[in-house]
Amino acid sequence: MFPELNSILNSTPDSFKSSDFILVSDRRANASFLIQHYLAFYLRAGCKVCFLGLVQSFSHYSAVGQRLGVSLAQAREKGQLVFLEGLKDSIGVLLQEDTSHETQPLSYLRSPGAGLEGLFRFVERSMRQSGDGDAGESWGPPVLLIDDLSVLLSLGVSVGAILDFTLYCQATMCSELQGNMVILVRCEEEDADDDDDEEGSNLLQRGLVHQCNLALHVEGLPTGYCRDIHGQMEVWWRQRGETIYNQRKIFHFKVHDKGASFFARGTSSAVL
Amino acid sequence: MSVESCVLQGAEAGGFILIQDTVKCTGRGLLKCFINAALKRGEDVHVLGFESPETEVCAGLDRSCVQKLHFHKGFPDPLGWTRRSSFTVERFASQHITQLIKDTQQAKASVLVVDSLSLVLRHHDPLVFCQTLQELRKGGVIKTIIGLLHSDLHQQGIVGIVCYLASTVISVAPANNERHSVAKTTRRTKSGKVMQEEEYFSVCKDATLSVQAKPRQPGHVQKERDVSEADPTSNLTFNLRLSEEERKAKEKVALPFVFSQEKKSALLKPTPGSGRIVYEPDDNDDFDEEDPDDDLDV
Repeated sequence: MFPELNSILNSTPDSFKSSDFILVSDRRANASFLIQHYLAFYLRAGCKVCFLGLVQSFSHYSAVGQRLGVSLAQAREKGQLVFLEGLKDSIGVLLQEDTSHETQPLSYLRSPGAGLEGLFRFVERSMRQSGDGDAGESWGPPVLLIDDLSVLLSLGVSVGAILDFTLYCQATMCSELQGNMVILVRCEEEDADDDDDEEGSNLLQRGLVHQCNLALHVEGLPTGYCRDIHGQMEVWWRQRGETIYNQRKIFHFKVHDKGASFFARGTSSAVL
Repeated sequence: MSVESCVLQGAEAGGFILIQDTVKCTGRGLLKCFINAALKRGEDVHVLGFESPETEVCAGLDRSCVQKLHFHKGFPDPLGWTRRSSFTVERFASQHITQLIKDTQQAKASVLVVDSLSLVLRHHDPLVFCQTLQELRKGGVIKTIIGLLHSDLHQQGIVGIVCYLASTVISVAPANNERHSVAKTTRRTKSGKVMQEEEYFSVCKDATLSVQAKPRQPGHVQKERDVSEADPTSNLTFNLRLSEEERKAKEKVALPFVFSQEKKSALLKPTPGSGRIVYEPDDNDDFDEEDPDDDLDV
């Protein structure tokens, strides 16, 4: 959990906005450190977290989480964290003999054209289960984290199906259960010739920006590589339904071993 | 036809008003203004809400007319996965919509609002979608259709098709000025005349539209002059200003490399005798008045 990011976004584990859809995207950079931040943030806040880890193993997130001060294994045992390990479970889905389980979470691997209804049902089931921990404690508002959604595009799922899935997740998580959603999407370089970006990650990102409340976009510095500044992050506060007052700000950041520091442009400690 | 008059008067019968937006500027506020104005005119408004919850769409609308608003719940279940919606995207066909409207008590000419057309286009073939729209316009049950389209989520061709069907297209975009957005309205009348207008607008909390001054031509984009230009010669410890006499004397100075009239005439017509050489011999000079070339036999 990064304290400077908390102050930029004006939220702490004790007080944060609910019914928020936060979109994290990157282009030729790696924004997964932000997903780690949110994972630590919401676990510290005592929320029930459903994490769809589609691109890394549980031990990877666990190791990074340790450095940020949260124990994922403990959270999973207590029932606070529901973790879908995409990589491990996918082999089972691909090798299984019968195709009758169409509403399995990873059913899109066998039939990508059918959409992500199975995945949504998994999310809904895990969130609607009453949060009874070992000590009968109830958890805070539910949170859905996804890392990352654009990998589904390369598995053959269409952009429309993914946007439908996120719409349903938003309807359930944000509108109905008053919880939050954080989704990571990785974009490719925009091709100038490619006007009809029908099935691209950029189209997916635009569709998600339309739906979200807050968009964090991570890119490298436009001027090139720098040892002390790892990139820039654009924060776009969007209010659904408001035509104007969308505020955008750019910050620079540097990722450390145990966190990341954020600062206004031109105020890197290497420069001052 | 400004966007304000469009909102207040609505379209004529059989009209299709399209609001186009992008990620940079959402058109839902403008859509809400249309809904509010239609309710105030006493028209029945049917909203097919697929993307936004009812609470968001109805927030800020005039409470006295809200009973004329019929929100058909697509959201939170627009595709029927959880069987909680009263109208799914699949049912976007002329017979279903017409039936839906006839089922409400007053079957007067109604206004149909679709939020959003992008979701419908994702799940229907574009040609079938266009046919449905045309059938609804000519059906007689619906007076006006108002739709919101996210133009950056579709191919240009598809956006073009929907714009062609519309009698009025309003594109919203952000303005330099953060408090307003720009609305570009293109209206096609039945006689075929096309009118275009570009205006600044903002949506108030009570879902009414406030239109500001029109932007100038592109190329003369003017930001608001909040700060007057600073005078650089003020607040100095030395004097950089000129008095009247000093200014006049300065203007009179002939610049060294300026090719003025006097110089020109001096170069072209030399006065006679101006090339004479006058030689004053020094004491040491051996000045002999005789011509040294005298003894040459030339």
